[in-house]
Amino acid sequence: MNAVRAMTRSVAIPLFALGRPGGWSTRGSILLLNVLGVAGFLLLWQVATAGGFLSPLFLPSPGQVLNEATQVAATGELWRSIVDSSRRVFFGFALAALFAVPLGVLMGLWAPARAIVGPFVSLLRPLPSITWIPLTMLWLGIGEAQKIAIVFMGTWVYILVYTVESTKRVDPLLIKAARNLGASDLSVMREVILPGALPGILAGLKVSLAISWSCVLSAEMVAAQSGLGALIWNAKDWSNLALVLVGMVCISLTVLVADLAAGVIERLLQPWERHRHG
Amino acid sequence: MQAILAAEHVTKIYAVHAKETTAVRDVSLDIREGEFVCLLGTSGCGKSTMLNLFAGFTQPTNGRVLLRGQPITKIEPRCGMVFQSYALFPWKTVRQNVEFGPKMQGLPAARQRELADRYIAMVKLSGFENHYPAELSGGMQQRVTLARSLAADPEVLLMDEPFAALDAMTRQVMQEELLAIQEASGKTVVFITHNIDEAILLSDRIVVMAANPGRVTAVIENPLNRPRDLVAQATPAYAALKSRIWDLVVGDVRGALAGRAGRA
Repeated sequence: MNAVRAMTRSVAIPLFALGRPGGWSTRGSILLLNVLGVAGFLLLWQVATAGGFLSPLFLPSPGQVLNEATQVAATGELWRSIVDSSRRVFFGFALAALFAVPLGVLMGLWAPARAIVGPFVSLLRPLPSITWIPLTMLWLGIGEAQKIAIVFMGTWVYILVYTVESTKRVDPLLIKAARNLGASDLSVMREVILPGALPGILAGLKVSLAISWSCVLSAEMVAAQSGLGALIWNAKDWSNLALVLVGMVCISLTVLVADLAAGVIERLLQPWERHRHG
Repeated sequence: MQAILAAEHVTKIYAVHAKETTAVRDVSLDIREGEFVCLLGTSGCGKSTMLNLFAGFTQPTNGRVLLRGQPITKIEPRCGMVFQSYALFPWKTVRQNVEFGPKMQGLPAARQRELADRYIAMVKLSGFENHYPAELSGGMQQRVTLARSLAADPEVLLMDEPFAALDAMTRQVMQEELLAIQEASGKTVVFITHNIDEAILLSDRIVVMAANPGRVTAVIENPLNRPRDLVAQATPAYAALKSRIWDLVVGDVRGALAGRAGRA
């Protein structure tokens, strides 16, 4: 028993380096493990597919995927798809933000507005954006406006909920302090409520941006001539699994880049949070 | 001489969860211009309620609160509050926080900056103008709050246990700095504390309050000469004053403790 405990201890501590400075928790070693993990996975995948353990009908090899990627990149099709999807996300998301942020601030400050809009929020929030596809197709066809509408319908409620909550949560003591220092209603709004609610609003926008990507992709898979969603859906019809995978990786990377960009904008807008980012 | 700030038979009753609590009952008080008054008492004696009434954050249930003879009916910028929890704007730098009052008064930008620089220097924070509050220690944040209130140039400074969260040494220094600032500016100060030494060190008059319900039990003129430094605290006169005040509050503290034990 004691021997077992001694053994676990001597093995466990060097492996996990719990609470020790350095060890496996430094930046360099984390990055190393990240790279090793991904490389190991790719190697396993290559062995499984090239070694004949998995039929290419079910999963193409990493080499085939790379090959397919260079081809679609060379024709410009990949780039066009990324631009088309990004443009739809941008417009749908911007419209949703322009609509929901001011409405949310109003609802956060004024209970009657909250009471009027509240039931619609409760009813619309559980609806996945794809359920809007039939109606929007009927109203708007299958063009750009319909894709933008799907993004809009899928995100505005989230932006609204975040905005209402963060507006309500602005510290009332700060509002009191501002009034005590002579601030008018307008100044309280501009100097206290908006900057106070900003972190929550930006957090909501970031979450909603990620959601807007899944909206546009599902819309493009149902009916679209272009975009990343259409790319992988059409590739499936031609049984081109390598292209499906290329599309999936591109979606991942595009959403990641969008999220990183959102993070940078978030930091630029809130210099007072800089100490938290080190 | 007319009082700059006055409470006339003020009663304030709060209703919390359908239960009424009398925060203060029938308090009358005159604050003279340029005077440093300490409201001294244990928790629940209504001293914070008095300050909130003077600031116009809340209205009396009965009686009147007057600034230069006029009733205070809304948040009153002429009674500047120095909050215990600082209440600095986290998204504004030290300078922007201190400029806030002058900015709200519509002063030109150059004047805002001049005032900010002067009061930041007065609280000894020059060099920290571009820091955000979260980057400062508690004592420094408290000084920013004080500078922010001073820059807005109120007629009365209301201070709600401003040094309670500071360590004893920082507090001592802050008290001396506050006295110097008050003597230089001639501002009327109403200062809340539950610390007898602090009240004696700072005040011209000490208003002793008691709890259940909150009320004034004594108003004591402070006979000690300034400066009341550590040496003054070792004199018989200081000890006599302190023991006189202690006799006034001790019954209330014991009563409050007994009441709490009885309820528990």
